[in-house]
Amino acid sequence: VPLGSPVTHYKQYPPNTTKVYSYFECRAKKTESTKIQKVKYDKTVFYGLQYILHKYLKGKVVTPQKITEAKEVYREHFQDDVFNEKGWEYILEKYDGHLPIEIKAVPEGSVIPRGNVLFTVESTDPECYWLTNWVETILVQIWYPITVATNSREQKKILARYLLETSGNQDKLEYKLHDFGYRGVSSQETAGIGASAHLVNFKGTDTVAGICVIKKYYGTKDPVPGFSVPAAEHSTITAWGKDHERDAFEHIVRQFPNVPVSIVSDSYDIYNACEKIWGEDLRSLIESRSADAPLVIRPDSGDPLDTVLKVLEILGRKFCTTENSKGYKVLPPYIRVIQGDGVDINTLQEIVAGMKKHRWSIENVGFGSGGALLQKLTRDLLSCCFKCSFVVTNGLGLNVFKDPVADPNKRSKKGRLSLHRTPTGDFVTLEEGKGSLEENGPDLLHTVFRNGVILKTYTFDEVRDNAKIRDCDLEESVD
Amino acid sequence: MAAQDFNILLATDSYKITHYKQYPPNVSKVYSYFECRRKRGGTQFSEIVFFGLQYLLKKYLSGRVITEEKIQEAKVFYQMHFRQTVFDEEGWRKVLEKYDGRLPIRIKAVPEGKIIPRGNVLFTVENTDPDFFWLTNYIETMLVQMWYPISVATISREFKKILAKHLKATSGSLEGLDFKLHDFGYRGVSSQESAALGGAAHLVNFCSTDTVAGLLMAQRYYGCPMAGFSMPAAEHSTIISWGRSREKEAFESMLDQFPTGPVSVVSDSYDIFKACRHIWGDKLKERVIERSEDSCLIIRPDSGDPAETLIEVIKILEECFGCSLNSQGFKVLPSYLRIIQGDGIDLNSVDEILEKLSDEGWSAENVFFGCGSALLQKLNRDTLNCAFKCSYVEINGKGMDVYKQPVTDPSKGSKRGLLSLRRNSDDFIETVERGVGKPEEDMLVIVFENGSIVQEYTLEEIRKNARLLEDYIAPSQHNQDEPKSLELHQKHIMNGVH
Repeated sequence: VPLGSPVTHYKQYPPNTTKVYSYFECRAKKTESTKIQKVKYDKTVFYGLQYILHKYLKGKVVTPQKITEAKEVYREHFQDDVFNEKGWEYILEKYDGHLPIEIKAVPEGSVIPRGNVLFTVESTDPECYWLTNWVETILVQIWYPITVATNSREQKKILARYLLETSGNQDKLEYKLHDFGYRGVSSQETAGIGASAHLVNFKGTDTVAGICVIKKYYGTKDPVPGFSVPAAEHSTITAWGKDHERDAFEHIVRQFPNVPVSIVSDSYDIYNACEKIWGEDLRSLIESRSADAPLVIRPDSGDPLDTVLKVLEILGRKFCTTENSKGYKVLPPYIRVIQGDGVDINTLQEIVAGMKKHRWSIENVGFGSGGALLQKLTRDLLSCCFKCSFVVTNGLGLNVFKDPVADPNKRSKKGRLSLHRTPTGDFVTLEEGKGSLEENGPDLLHTVFRNGVILKTYTFDEVRDNAKIRDCDLEESVD
Repeated sequence: MAAQDFNILLATDSYKITHYKQYPPNVSKVYSYFECRRKRGGTQFSEIVFFGLQYLLKKYLSGRVITEEKIQEAKVFYQMHFRQTVFDEEGWRKVLEKYDGRLPIRIKAVPEGKIIPRGNVLFTVENTDPDFFWLTNYIETMLVQMWYPISVATISREFKKILAKHLKATSGSLEGLDFKLHDFGYRGVSSQESAALGGAAHLVNFCSTDTVAGLLMAQRYYGCPMAGFSMPAAEHSTIISWGRSREKEAFESMLDQFPTGPVSVVSDSYDIFKACRHIWGDKLKERVIERSEDSCLIIRPDSGDPAETLIEVIKILEECFGCSLNSQGFKVLPSYLRIIQGDGIDLNSVDEILEKLSDEGWSAENVFFGCGSALLQKLNRDTLNCAFKCSYVEINGKGMDVYKQPVTDPSKGSKRGLLSLRRNSDDFIETVERGVGKPEEDMLVIVFENGSIVQEYTLEEIRKNARLLEDYIAPSQHNQDEPKSLELHQKHIMNGVH
């Protein structure tokens, strides 16, 4: 039951409050921020609620021991008895420790424009009005899987556009952005959640924890949702000694003859490695590899675009290129490049645009991203927040909201909310209970959790299907 | 004891499964180290707080971490993940048989809480049995996550330096410094586990937090029964639920419900300035004045420009409640009234706000700060350039210093050979490479060996190690001829540059 400041809130609501109803959204920014963002993030991928429900909210979450422990912790922490012991004992007795709240949410994987309600939370027992915002802290952490999945999907759109433009198809798109982020996240748990969110859009990952989260909390029809290939790291090259880089390369390539193998080549001099070692000393060894088992050369330092272009130029010279149906250069199928250093959504855009400008097809490269994919994100990126919009006090319902004079962006929605499709196919959030009127069509929010029971779940396949890129997503032209 | 259902075989980057096949033949030792590299072009964070290793050791690495079930689970998994057989089943079974599932690894580390300049070795990892050379870098992924508690503890301490500087300058003392920065980051962090770890790291420097998970972590892994404190506080829902026309009733209820002890009330739901002037400063003025210093009202703005809003709020409060001058001649609000600014706070804005307050004649005593994402989430491995690299191997019984030195980025060059950390004759901390360090001077201590934790630290010791030194509190007292400034200190460190 470790949750923060909500501990004292049960005492702060108006007397005779019998319901507190709150919602979650990724607020739209109405006013221009001082920093002009290159990427707009107009729509977000809803993902991650099922994990939170399963792991933290379902079933019997309160026991007498936990109440006692919490009481002691909070007495020390506040130097006062403010913990709502009676409130929790009530839940223990009446509901056998199950949480009397109801959560309605948009289906997982749904792609929804900013500024719309994504899920609502309300207490189902008049005695437990305070519970709605007790669970806020834990539910707001959904900002993370939403943000990873959204940012990952935006990168998929960029890759799809350029791949289509420079090759005429989208083959292997799902392997073009590989998750390298395991070591760069803040904890094991974050790794699992974040990596699973990336796999909503892609299939290549080295963050094994993500696959475990998907298997445990979502399920797929395939045995695993993500794949990897043998690859070197600096220690497996440098351990051979500076004068034996060629021996290291040769040894590793020979260890993995029938699958793609990625070899980091910048331990000393990436350009020399490409020109002399790969391009000359080991050239025949590489040329004998099949299209299913290419050597993938990995630079790992220097300016990302400059390095990629220079590496392609050298490899192009040493191994020759062909021109594809769109008129772009492609290396022979047994050799490819993966750029896994300094890749974020902005540099990704720069690299594919730079490659296109120099007439290189995106078929030639794959990308790896670590910190930018899984860690360099905050709740502010998509303005994720949880706000109370409706209460019942003295038997009367009241639409409530905040509207700070100094920031119109922070204004919150009012009353009971629902999400609908308009006749033109757009999304709209109806406030103040208006959504219950017949003429507005069905509410897209479904009850997923009530009184400790998960009522609706989604498989990861459904999540992926809901989040897939459609043709209209690629309509933005490629410069 | 490490967690039962956690499978360490699945807690690594996939590609590391394939590395046992890639090292040179007859390699019998792989020795690696961790540092927060220095970046050229000057560094904002020139020293770091070492913290968090004990958590990883206790939770994931100590005791019996390998079982036959875990090997089988990993084998099946990797078969599907790589679409071929590549997992080193035999290698892991040997760990199980020879060491009863305990890791034949030695880790030496700087004591937790110690303040170390960038570019120095912080811990080293090596296999203790020649059969398990591949194990050293297998656990890299997990150990590199040390970047997080180190970075949070470091940033938190940088906040403390700024707060200390202003507090000392405007009030003459550091009283209450440990409560000046409140952790608001629980909801803005990426997971419960990160909240716990980040929350605990902040508590190395401060005592105020709402991130309860951090308290529990400090209790379970660092032996501190209660590492941090909080106070009753409102949130927007507990104010707006009264209705727009009843903000005064909502505020008054807060004062009624919490008559003793400090209480924080967010006041910007509709109009922070009107709330301060007309509600706190007029309608509820009597109620505010009757509160004691120990039960002060702490008004919380939560929108608008952080500095400007604060200045305007404090001016309104001065008009309504008056103020007095402290021993340094700065203005202080009456002791029953304070402000907490918890929106938009980061290292820059805190400094800016206190600077502006001071320019307007206000003491830093008037304000507390709350920080969320800037403390616990807006950090990454590049913030302090944390990296783990192999620096020494033994092949055919012969030792060899190894390193990377990419021509495309000299700052990514790594250290060479066996490493130690010492204080040199000028009292500056430096890393000694190539195995020439004297063991008796080595600050690195064995903390983990063959599955056992052999050295532990309490939060109390860690807090002592990490405390602020006089230098940072009153930098204006430095003389030009006293060579104790940080810049000079840097010049004496002979590492990170080859």
